Amino acid sequence: MNEQSLFEKYGGFARISRVVLSFYDTLLDSDDIGPFFDDIDMSRMVDHQTKFIASLLGGPASYTDNQLRQLHSHLPIEDDHFDELKVVLGATLKDHEFTDPDIIAVLQEFEKRRGLIVG
Amino acid sequence: MSIETINEQLLRAIGVGVALLDGNSFNFRFHNDTFEEWFGKPEADARLGDVFSELDIDALRKGLKENGGYTGETRFKKKRRTMAVALDFTLTEEGGQEIAVLVCQNITRIRELESMIDSYSMMVERNNRELKREKEQVEKLLLNIMPRAVYEEFKTFGVVTPQLYDPVSVLMLDFVGFTDMVASADPSVTVTELNDIYSAFDRIGEQFGCERIKTIGDAYITVAGLPDPTPDHSKAAANAAIRFIRYLERRNSSHPNQWRCRIGLATGAVVGSVVGIQKYVYDIFGPAVNLATRLQEFSEPMQISVQDEMAATLREHFELANLGSRDIRGFGQKDVWHLLDTAKTMKKAGK
Repeated sequence: MNEQSLFEKYGGFARISRVVLSFYDTLLDSDDIGPFFDDIDMSRMVDHQTKFIASLLGGPASYTDNQLRQLHSHLPIEDDHFDELKVVLGATLKDHEFTDPDIIAVLQEFEKRRGLIVG
Repeated sequence: MSIETINEQLLRAIGVGVALLDGNSFNFRFHNDTFEEWFGKPEADARLGDVFSELDIDALRKGLKENGGYTGETRFKKKRRTMAVALDFTLTEEGGQEIAVLVCQNITRIRELESMIDSYSMMVERNNRELKREKEQVEKLLLNIMPRAVYEEFKTFGVVTPQLYDPVSVLMLDFVGFTDMVASADPSVTVTELNDIYSAFDRIGEQFGCERIKTIGDAYITVAGLPDPTPDHSKAAANAAIRFIRYLERRNSSHPNQWRCRIGLATGAVVGSVVGIQKYVYDIFGPAVNLATRLQEFSEPMQISVQDEMAATLREHFELANLGSRDIRGFGQKDVWHLLDTAKTMKKAGK
């Protein structure tokens, strides 16, 4: 049997959508990461965040490695930015009552994609 | 403090943008703090179109005239967030003058949620498509190892009841010198060719209503009369056998690797069932299978051997040659016949 994904464990789209919106809010307010989204249209940004969070939590559809690489290839994202994003993500999950082991698991998933995003 | 002052202060402080405009010129007469926070402070003589350049003023005028109201939506960037604001105009009269009341609601969150639902539903739809594709692939695989009727039973009940099929005709085909070929030729070429040939056999079998049961290495077993009883199962198996050989002959004439087979045909009873729990195999057992296997050994390359009882029913439609009585292991002394390809014998005879 397949193990239940974190996406399912934390209530599926109904609850994860709130995580995505808080994450999105925090990113837009962040002075370090926010500027990357200055010229991006809201619906594209929300679409990206929804797919990204869903893929980290084992949700219904995942970004492939190639998609992630392509999406970020034109952006001057550095390790510092990635680290900051990791902090924001961890805090967002904490706010939404994810348990510590689950937060660690999600952040590990995120860390695995560092090479695709930073470049 | 007068009631008017309190009202005005309330109006200024609420989280909804409010502006009052001259009903004809659309000059700003009043705006509250929220409005100013979103759209800036209009100049002293500013008109509506100066603040909302994308707003269709003619449509607004028409809406106010005909319905006394008009709704629209506007977007603007606030820092890096795209704000979406719903604009709602209503016409009213104050002291003999027409006033357009503009109420602006922040619907950014609603639009963000809509985008998220769009994104999510697209993911779910894609997932569903993938699941459907996977399901079809599994179904195709299972249909490859069991007849459709058996698969339907398996799908519905999770088990397959062993069934006795009597009578059916079993065709057992074996290649001559296959072991040597595997040892001497390129294995991937051998497998590819074997796969081509089996696929062709499947197609031929299907034409005549034969159900391929399995292949074990170079042995190919197909059955007519299963799972649905067919009155002319022996004819179907004989026709398939003749076509198998014709196919191989044609293939051999244009290929370097020569494939030659022996075929045994037998009529009788078999039991069909899914065997195994982890690795499902649909298989058939019974005298007809054993007999077909034994008979196949009486065939010279590219020959078809047929048991006596089956020969009796085939005689009407096919040409058969009697091999005489033979000792068939497990079945005793029986007459064995060779099924001839009538079309070919006629050609040879110059007819």
